Amino acid sequence: MSMKSADAALRATAPARAAAPVRTLARPSLLASLAPALLGLVVPGAFLVLWWGVVAAGVFPPSVLPSPFTVAAAAFDWAFGDPQNGGYSGTLAQAIWASGQRVLLGYAIAMVLGVAIGVPTGASRLMGHLVDPFIHLLRPIPVTAWVPLSLVFFGFGFKGAVFLVALGSFFPIVVNTIEGVRGANRSLVKVGRMLGARGWRLLWYFILPASLPSVFVGLRLGMGISWELIIVAEMMSVKSGIGYTLLDAYSFGRFDVVIAAMIVLGVMGFLSDRVIVAVQSVALRWHREVSIHAEQ
Amino acid sequence: MPSNETRDSDAILRCERLDRTFVSRDAGENRVLQDINFEMRKGEFVVLIGPSGCGKSTLLNIIAGFDRQTAGLALIDGRPIAGPGPDKAMVFQDYALLPWLNARENIEIGLKMQRMPAAQRTETALRFLELVGLAEAAERPVYKLSGGMQQRVSIARALALEPKVLLMDEPFGALDAFQRAIMHKELVRIWRATQATIIFVTHSLEEAVFLGERVVAMTPRAVGLTGELRIDMPRPRDPLSPEFAAVKRRLFEMITSHLTEEVAVFAE
Repeated sequence: MSMKSADAALRATAPARAAAPVRTLARPSLLASLAPALLGLVVPGAFLVLWWGVVAAGVFPPSVLPSPFTVAAAAFDWAFGDPQNGGYSGTLAQAIWASGQRVLLGYAIAMVLGVAIGVPTGASRLMGHLVDPFIHLLRPIPVTAWVPLSLVFFGFGFKGAVFLVALGSFFPIVVNTIEGVRGANRSLVKVGRMLGARGWRLLWYFILPASLPSVFVGLRLGMGISWELIIVAEMMSVKSGIGYTLLDAYSFGRFDVVIAAMIVLGVMGFLSDRVIVAVQSVALRWHREVSIHAEQ
Repeated sequence: MPSNETRDSDAILRCERLDRTFVSRDAGENRVLQDINFEMRKGEFVVLIGPSGCGKSTLLNIIAGFDRQTAGLALIDGRPIAGPGPDKAMVFQDYALLPWLNARENIEIGLKMQRMPAAQRTETALRFLELVGLAEAAERPVYKLSGGMQQRVSIARALALEPKVLLMDEPFGALDAFQRAIMHKELVRIWRATQATIIFVTHSLEEAVFLGERVVAMTPRAVGLTGELRIDMPRPRDPLSPEFAAVKRRLFEMITSHLTEEVAVFAE
């Protein structure tokens, strides 16, 4: 009896549900899918117009603040001009290569040392007590304060620049590696021990993979600092590279080249960060997915 | 002193006069387990039940080797428990699967730690995935599986180690009621198929009565175990039957009578 009436009640509501409009997912139009990228160009575009307007209004003398077009022309000449013309013409590739190899070498050293020191420091309590205080004492010293010592020990040139880059990017990498290893998900470490893993096997198969997200945070921060320090090094002690060009252009009053060099630095920093992010998205696919699923 | 009484040859797990006291600077001494005597025979399915804070997880952690007793003996197969290992496999409430591995690899990693050859690992892992009904999900990343499926992988991982005891710490606590009901039936089936020895920790009366051959009750600050109930109801058990409800009531009364006594002690 009661079953029947419940049934009837269900049937009574059914048509109402069927009448509800069915929402379909419309495919986004090309314009809609491009919209975010286009929106991202609005502010930079406005900035360029403002810049151009300030120059055109003659607020500053053109020798101090060149117009965007002058900068673009300088950048083009720097990149593609005939080196026979002298000045900065056609020397961009050389400058990028000079700075890039110092950054790469210094960063590679920092990465190897940072991970090699960070992992045992995070994994072993004894190592933590030994190494932690030293790292935290050294870390607040601005890397620029190391320049005089660096000049004494490594001289003017390649070695000194590599040293400064390595030193600066070492700290974020080592600190984030220590934190990552120390904070590796406790229940995963418990699982490792339950499965019979001890020592190196526990570290390699359980703790290290779990610490990778934090290590990558350190790697990205370190790369950013690398590009900062290469400029400091090149301004202080090296006679080539983008940083050197930037300072040299300043001393000749070529602010178009100064600004072009700044833009090149921004692009280099951006591209190297993208490379790390690309590696990360492959190595840490699970991590991204886990966070997405956790949000759902 | 270990007792000289003749040992039950079937006993796979024994706890004798087990004590666990936590000492902290601000709270002083907190005696969580006191004079626990507990024994299990091979193939038995025991449910440990009690309210939060009764020490059931502490007892499970001691048996798992994650924690150590302050006094008394805990023996597996006659040997004192010294640290965690694959002979006392645990199924955790949060599944604790390795998110960078797929379902099959999550089972294989445990076998790899036992230094089993690769071909045999894969074969064993697939066999246990089949046992828990996940054969077709072998190559899927675990984070793409539902909670119930993840817990099945976790059970398969533990069983593949062929442990002497399988420890389950509120394993279905994170699942919704329907998934939980399915997992209860599945667990009984798996237990019968493997003849595993299982200790299952829960605070759900229904779970205890549905699963346990024997239910051991614990209450906070009690000396020893509060009580024990053998459940001979035939399987499959029907949670909606009057017999089931009657057993549930007896269990409930057994636990709460001790709780009210305690409240009375506190009031004095």
